[in-house]
Amino acid sequence: MNKTGKLINYLAGRVLPGSIIPFFIVSAWWLASRTGTAVVPGIAEVMRVLLHPFEAPPELYSRSIAFSLFMTLIRFTAGFGLAIVTAVPLGLLAGQSRTAERILYPVIQMSRSINPIALMPLATVFFGLASVASVFTGEMEAWKYDLADQVQLAMIFILWWGGFFPIFLSTLNGVRSVGAPYIEMMSLAGASRVQLLKNVIFPHALPSIMHGIRMGMGITWLVLLAAEIYPGTRSGIGYMLCTACKTSDYQYTFAAMIIIALTGLLLDWTIHHFEKKTGHWQTRER
Amino acid sequence: MSSPSGAPAFSAGRISKGYKSREGVGVQALERVSFEADEGKITCIVGPTGSGKSTILRIMSGLEAPDEGSVRVAGVQPSDMTGRIGYLTQRHTLLPWMKTGDNIGLPLKVRGLAREMIKNRVREIAESLALNGLLDLYPYELSGGAMQRAAIGRLLASDAGYCLLDEPFSALDEKTLHALQRLFLDIAGRSRLSVLFVTHSIDEAVFLADRIIVLSAGPGRVVETFEVDMPHPRDRISPLFGALIERVRQKIESVLRDDAAVCGADSATGGH
Ligand SMILES: Nc1ncnc2c1ncn2[C@@H]1O[C@H](COP(=O)(O)OP(=O)(O)O)[C@@H](O)[C@H]1O
Ligand SMILES: [Mg+2]
Repeated sequence: MNKTGKLINYLAGRVLPGSIIPFFIVSAWWLASRTGTAVVPGIAEVMRVLLHPFEAPPELYSRSIAFSLFMTLIRFTAGFGLAIVTAVPLGLLAGQSRTAERILYPVIQMSRSINPIALMPLATVFFGLASVASVFTGEMEAWKYDLADQVQLAMIFILWWGGFFPIFLSTLNGVRSVGAPYIEMMSLAGASRVQLLKNVIFPHALPSIMHGIRMGMGITWLVLLAAEIYPGTRSGIGYMLCTACKTSDYQYTFAAMIIIALTGLLLDWTIHHFEKKTGHWQTRER
Repeated sequence: MSSPSGAPAFSAGRISKGYKSREGVGVQALERVSFEADEGKITCIVGPTGSGKSTILRIMSGLEAPDEGSVRVAGVQPSDMTGRIGYLTQRHTLLPWMKTGDNIGLPLKVRGLAREMIKNRVREIAESLALNGLLDLYPYELSGGAMQRAAIGRLLASDAGYCLLDEPFSALDEKTLHALQRLFLDIAGRSRLSVLFVTHSIDEAVFLADRIIVLSAGPGRVVETFEVDMPHPRDRISPLFGALIERVRQKIESVLRDDAAVCGADSATGGH
């Protein structure tokens, strides 16, 4: 199939069905904005905000849409990155060692039922307003300090909490389901633990890890936007959404919601792509 | 590639093995099985499904221990032979996430050989197994015959002189089957492999083996041992070939009849 044909197929097969419900929502929005309630901004107004992402809102304390998204993504990367680099190794460990599993599993099962958003007040008490900037003691340029200061430790903590559990459990599950014949084959070949991990356990668990990352990402994204509403925050898409509400600049609220939704979708698609790519062999294994 | 002690390549001394099912019912898989297999020869174990053929190979590989008796490979414990025993299991264990070429080269990678050397050796092996164009495909993209050739390729790459094969050609059509059998004979002869080859096909055993060990239906016992000294390649339509098949078949059937008489049950004929 040629490129154009592929694109048409993609549009007709994926984008079109996926656009049906948004189309009705936008229509309803359009109707609502015409009836002239103050709460619902016009589509044109919101589009103006979205099309000028670097323009700071005139009367708000918040910064431009682009900067807000940038801040949000920095926090996301820090918190979720930390979740990945802790959950995957621990999952691999617990999957291979009974002792490690017995130590970790009960604690993790108990902890994971605690909603990270509910932990925010506690995290704030514990970490105070400490940020990444307060952890680094060396000299820092002002703008760097300003950025780092807006990545609060309490926030990183609850983001980590939101992402850790699904990734850990999926990794554990992926390791557990490695077929014994593969492991026996490797041990007969004289493979070391590291070789077994590199050639069998990790590749086998990878699609499962990706799935966990996808699940964890959805949760982390939700948690992040809720967390940005908390006091002490002075930037981010969630912050913009919330402050715009307070000052009745609803076109910014709507613009923020649209950005949140689209970014969430984009993140999900990206990981889903890797999930399929690393798991190509799964459905066709025989 | 012969063992210094002059010991047989594989030997089993009165090995017994029982399993407990999930419900706690015991199954006796093997009962005092003894045999020897010579260096550089192909020894086939024939028996109906459930006669404990796979169990013998698992014990011989060292993955499992017998309840009683002992096995030796080249005169020593299987556990002292790590990396020198090649084992092709009944269900192939090519890694599905690795390309065929990488699968074949896996034993070399485990031994820490340089990438370039692995590549060359894999290419050589692929040449001898007609797998040249398939090295960049994943195992699930191969036909059944190519998949078995790839599994044999990995066995060859391991450079193990002692090979255990568990019904490696059982799911193939006749043409592919016969081609692979000839190919295998050729390779085994050239590399002077000591082979313990399990099959439920009498025809296959008679075609390949220097010695045939016949097992009874479970619990597996050695019923008879046949020495085969027909030269290779063997002619399937020769009277000698047919006569030997008939003798082995009669042996297996007579045992099945005895068992049926004992159990009072109408047990099916062995194999497929
Ligand atoms: N892991 C196991 N657990 C329980 N029973 C087993 C196990 N492995 C084999 N058996 C039983 O042992 C007997 C012999 O099995 P097997 O060696 O696979 O026979 P074959 O390869 O000749 O078909 C069968 O009755 C089988 O059900
Ligand atoms: Mg079997």
